[in-house]
Amino acid sequence: MEVEVTVLTRRGAAVMRRSQHASAPRIGLGRGTDNEVPLADIRIGLHVAALVERVGGISIEKLGTSPLTVNGKSVDSASINTGDEILLGPYRIEVLEPPEGCDGAIQIELVQPMGAALERVNAAARIGLGQAGASKRVYAWSGFLVIAVVALAAPLVVFGGKLVTPWHQNAPQPLVPTLIGQVWDTGEFSNAHRFFGADCATCHRGAFARVADNACLSCHSKVGNHVEHGIQFGAIGDRLSSMRCISCHTEHRGIEGSVVRTASLCLDCHRNLAETAPGAGVRDIGGWPNGHPQFRATVVADTARKTTTRVELGTNPPPVDHPGLKFSHAAHLRPGGFPALSYREMTCSDCHVTEPGGESFLPITYKNQCERCHELSFDKVALPWPNAKVPHGDDTGIVAAVWNYYAGLALQGAKDAPAAPGVERRGIGMPTEPAPAAPPPDTLPWVTAKATAALGIVLDDKRGCAYCHFGTGPQGVFDTKKILANDLPPKSDTAHFIAPVELRTRFLPEARFDHSQHRGVGCADCHASRQAQMSGEILIPGIDTCVKCHGSENAELRAQSTCITCHVFHRTERGPMRMSQETRQ
Amino acid sequence: MSVVDPLNPAGARPTRHESFLAHDRFRFLKWGALLVFVSIVLYFAVRPYGQPYGGGWAGYTLGTIGALLILWLTWFGYRKRTYANNSGRLAARLSAHVYLGLALFFVATLHTGFHFGWNIHTLAYALMCVVIASGIFGVVAYARYPRMMTENRQSMTTAQMLGRIAGIDDDLRGVAMPLDDTTVAIIERAIETNVIGGSAWRQVSGRYPNCTTAAAMAHMEALAEGHTIVQDAWRQTVLKLSEKQALLDRVRRDVRFKAMMEIWLYLHVPLTFALIAALTAHIISIFFM
Repeated sequence: MEVEVTVLTRRGAAVMRRSQHASAPRIGLGRGTDNEVPLADIRIGLHVAALVERVGGISIEKLGTSPLTVNGKSVDSASINTGDEILLGPYRIEVLEPPEGCDGAIQIELVQPMGAALERVNAAARIGLGQAGASKRVYAWSGFLVIAVVALAAPLVVFGGKLVTPWHQNAPQPLVPTLIGQVWDTGEFSNAHRFFGADCATCHRGAFARVADNACLSCHSKVGNHVEHGIQFGAIGDRLSSMRCISCHTEHRGIEGSVVRTASLCLDCHRNLAETAPGAGVRDIGGWPNGHPQFRATVVADTARKTTTRVELGTNPPPVDHPGLKFSHAAHLRPGGFPALSYREMTCSDCHVTEPGGESFLPITYKNQCERCHELSFDKVALPWPNAKVPHGDDTGIVAAVWNYYAGLALQGAKDAPAAPGVERRGIGMPTEPAPAAPPPDTLPWVTAKATAALGIVLDDKRGCAYCHFGTGPQGVFDTKKILANDLPPKSDTAHFIAPVELRTRFLPEARFDHSQHRGVGCADCHASRQAQMSGEILIPGIDTCVKCHGSENAELRAQSTCITCHVFHRTERGPMRMSQETRQ
Repeated sequence: MSVVDPLNPAGARPTRHESFLAHDRFRFLKWGALLVFVSIVLYFAVRPYGQPYGGGWAGYTLGTIGALLILWLTWFGYRKRTYANNSGRLAARLSAHVYLGLALFFVATLHTGFHFGWNIHTLAYALMCVVIASGIFGVVAYARYPRMMTENRQSMTTAQMLGRIAGIDDDLRGVAMPLDDTTVAIIERAIETNVIGGSAWRQVSGRYPNCTTAAAMAHMEALAEGHTIVQDAWRQTVLKLSEKQALLDRVRRDVRFKAMMEIWLYLHVPLTFALIAALTAHIISIFFM
């Protein structure tokens, strides 16, 4: 079989044909050079097809797997005639009229050229992040819009549209607005205000407005003033009254609390109050512990007039209290106790009983503290009533009590009193019972003598009132003779002969000392009671005792202490902090 | 007595290349350091009542400086790109942008008073930190990758490297002709599919797990072990393939370096815009409530 093979090449408009004859029983087509018709393209197989002579013509057979298409039909084998079109990989083969002496003729054209390799490589390469679909512009505006909507527009709608309400309104807070509102939360809530943390409008009541005092006062209406109302302290007083709640109280600053503890908050005014507000009577403070003056204890000046005075501690000679009582801590704290009274060695808490809160102590009273050992009996004679005692706290009744006691005793026949008349039966219409017979004439002198003797002991300074009390006589003595002369037998207008007693429970009322906070410290660590012989000795420790443990607000090796550790700003006893008319908006 | 540089007696600016970081004898480094120093002094010297919390006049001053710096640096970045042809002023701008941006971190951190939470305020701070961190990455990238790129390219351009790859592809078509069909199909795939760059991750990581050229190389090596093959065509093909592989590796490294020099901007620029939104929300919320 002989076939004319024409290779057609186009270069622009030019068409080139190159023909040659292939002569073989089977004419192979393919990439391999052993083919009769080699096709120099890597895209087709080594042996893809073959032309085979058949009866009455030529047919084409597919070899391998490359598809063979004849006149648009995919075939494995087909006879070919003039005008047929065969597609083989990137080649198009046209069957021509065979020339003289040939069995067939085909024209081969590469219809799918390989294309420019560089163009392909360039097209495939995607270099640069912009090529990867990343757009800074898109990301920038997306981020901007998301944050502007979620963190700015949405909270503005939530707060501006009053979607969050004050706690007092008791309205349930819808979840989404609450969460959106939290976006603006500047920090952790104080523990006290946490329960309405979601109800922003409780405090924040208007746009672009700081939290008004009114918002605080809706709960804290009773908060005390710092100074007495109506007292003018000049510029510094104006400064005080111009302060808002939020000047000292902050929120969103953590769980520990909303009270600013910094000392400078107080010191900014108190550093030179002696100059700026001399009327306040407050000494200048430079800080703690340095710059704090020695404490001034409030002690009794005069029990009769019930006046107090403030005395500076730690002076020499030491300041003296005037409680109107003769009392020695040292004597009471005697080692070994009091065997005669079958009382063990005394401790502080035998007399000083803490009040329920533990901050301070209950007042000392005769009934609770003294009576167990110092009972006021003056006679041991057994009577139908329990004891022969004088009343405590009622000096005008003492004389009567003693006198009445002996009078009663006399009536019961202790003295040779006449027997009581016999019982008479009395019939109807009979005369009334006669008045009891008068006591024997020596009864009154007897009672008076007994009462005088007893009162001598009762008022005595070894066994009686004067043991602990001062009298109203000169230098605090008991003018026993005068009392006995004037007051026996008892009268209704008996004069006081015991000086009043004034025992203070707080000696530093301007500060607040909490004993319960100091439970781990022994009493004697601060109070030198064992050495105190006189009741006038002030056992309140001075500043030098406190500074052993309490350092400055930034102290590393002392308890950090600031003004409000001991002092209270809001003094309830001075009226409300903000009168309604001056409540700041 | 003053020392005069004999090569530069007039004291004119040296003509050698000067890093923007060292611009004008570290002028902006000094400015930045001064700003940080003043901020620290302000933070410790002016204590508000209670804890420092961004408020008080020191806090508001730091906050205002920080906010203005953010806006100014953003504007700077924009101008820097707009007038990129003015090289002298560009260096000054870039130097100021870098050092004042670093100083901003300290100013804003002091402004926070070290209080952070899940809110817009901390979000603004966090965004600012990421912007600054990405900027630092950018400075490092600009110091590191251009040199690595030059070394990697070996005085070829990217276009030249791609051209060489195309040439090797053409050569491969020729030399692989005698090989068997399976092998040729694999080599044809290596020719047809040249993956260079692509997704952001691929560009940045430089990993191309499905590289057809590498697969072809592996196939050829397996063939060498177990098969009788057309020795010459095999050798030629392997030669060309390995040459292509080396070029691909190099151009892919080039792509990676380019991507590294670009990637930080995809955080730096968009997050700056997010930061400006957050900053606006932060300022408005503080004064609104």
